[in-house]
Amino acid sequence: MDEMFTVNGKNRKFTFEPDERLLHTLRNHGFSEVKNGCLEGECGACLILLDDKPVNSCQVLTASVIGRDIKTVKGIGNLHEPHIIQEAFVEAGAVQCGFCTPGMVLASFALLKENPNPSETEIKNALDGNLCRCTGYVKIIEAVKLAAERLGNGGME
Amino acid sequence: MKELNWNYPKTLADAEKLVRQENVLPHGGGTGLLLRNLTGVDGLIELSQLALRSVNVTENEVEIGSLCTYADVISELKKTDPEHILAQCLRHSANTPLRNRITIGGSIAMFPPWSDLMGALIALDAKVTLIGENSGDFPVEDYVKDSNLCKNSLITAVKFHNSGWRSAHYREIRTKSDMPVFNHTVLLKVEADKISESRIIVVGTASKFTRLTAVEDYLNSRKIDEIKPAEIEKLVNLKFAGSRIDDPDYSNIKAGIELGRMIVQMVRT
Repeated sequence: MDEMFTVNGKNRKFTFEPDERLLHTLRNHGFSEVKNGCLEGECGACLILLDDKPVNSCQVLTASVIGRDIKTVKGIGNLHEPHIIQEAFVEAGAVQCGFCTPGMVLASFALLKENPNPSETEIKNALDGNLCRCTGYVKIIEAVKLAAERLGNGGME
Repeated sequence: MKELNWNYPKTLADAEKLVRQENVLPHGGGTGLLLRNLTGVDGLIELSQLALRSVNVTENEVEIGSLCTYADVISELKKTDPEHILAQCLRHSANTPLRNRITIGGSIAMFPPWSDLMGALIALDAKVTLIGENSGDFPVEDYVKDSNLCKNSLITAVKFHNSGWRSAHYREIRTKSDMPVFNHTVLLKVEADKISESRIIVVGTASKFTRLTAVEDYLNSRKIDEIKPAEIEKLVNLKFAGSRIDDPDYSNIKAGIELGRMIVQMVRT
């Protein structure tokens, strides 16, 4: 199949099989920041924002989201222009191997967009689909709190 | 190998024609379909362009479109009744990104043994609305028992009465998996110092779900201060299939203990 999608604000044409998962389509077209983890929707490494909602791209058939708006972690910031959340992850020491980080950052982005001042419980709930096997979660939660503080009450807008 | 053919109906009438075809499956969120082998399936019907994603709450009834995700339902019920039994069940189910994808219709059609949704719907005497070969409203309990009802039919909505239940949900999980081994849904009506009506459903048993009528009979018309958890435990005799990590006898004992605890907590708070 050949279809158009909006990825990180740009129109992209993807070629994919009818039974292909969005995770594989994205990676096959260069979006390697979307990580291939468990393929069961449990780990959150492949998390993307689909129409601004966090979803596991391994649990989405590409043909079911033709034309929709997709955001990967590179859509919110990159090495040269990192997002405040990405900076907070670095400063808080919330990154070790980095495999879970794109998913963690995007889940945090979605949370802070809806709720600029989340409680610790709300942060934990929002990250309940993201597993980290290096650092544990203390530094990650601290990073989200730091990002919330820096973004201020105005949040993401 | 046959190529999977995707269909994108824009109207319910178009979807109904497609669902009547053999070997063509509806696609809602897709999380359930990914658990099965799609080899041999001729086509999928992508439903997202249909207007089936709203929750209508009135004084007497709740109607949920089949394309509503778990997150949609939690968010809507939060506005009117955050402790509604469905909200209690769904907010602990799966995880945030999956709750943004799993649909109510897909969950009813699949009814996996770890379902957090189905106990509540059966306890609430919910009905599904179908189009296709079997059109009309059918009790969810009949839908899950009669495999002919789902054949070549599409769930468009589920609805149930809102009628002042005290409710609680319990999920038994093991460290190996987030999916519950079993879960209890308990609905109680309390008038003065007595229980006037009760509904208790356990999901995850060998027969997928079990209604605990013996416990309901024990509770109905009983004074609150006469309810004894140990007597409830004795009335629980559930058959579990068991697995590598779950012993059926242990699950039955644990189900009885947890049910006794939750009922006592519900009536004394």
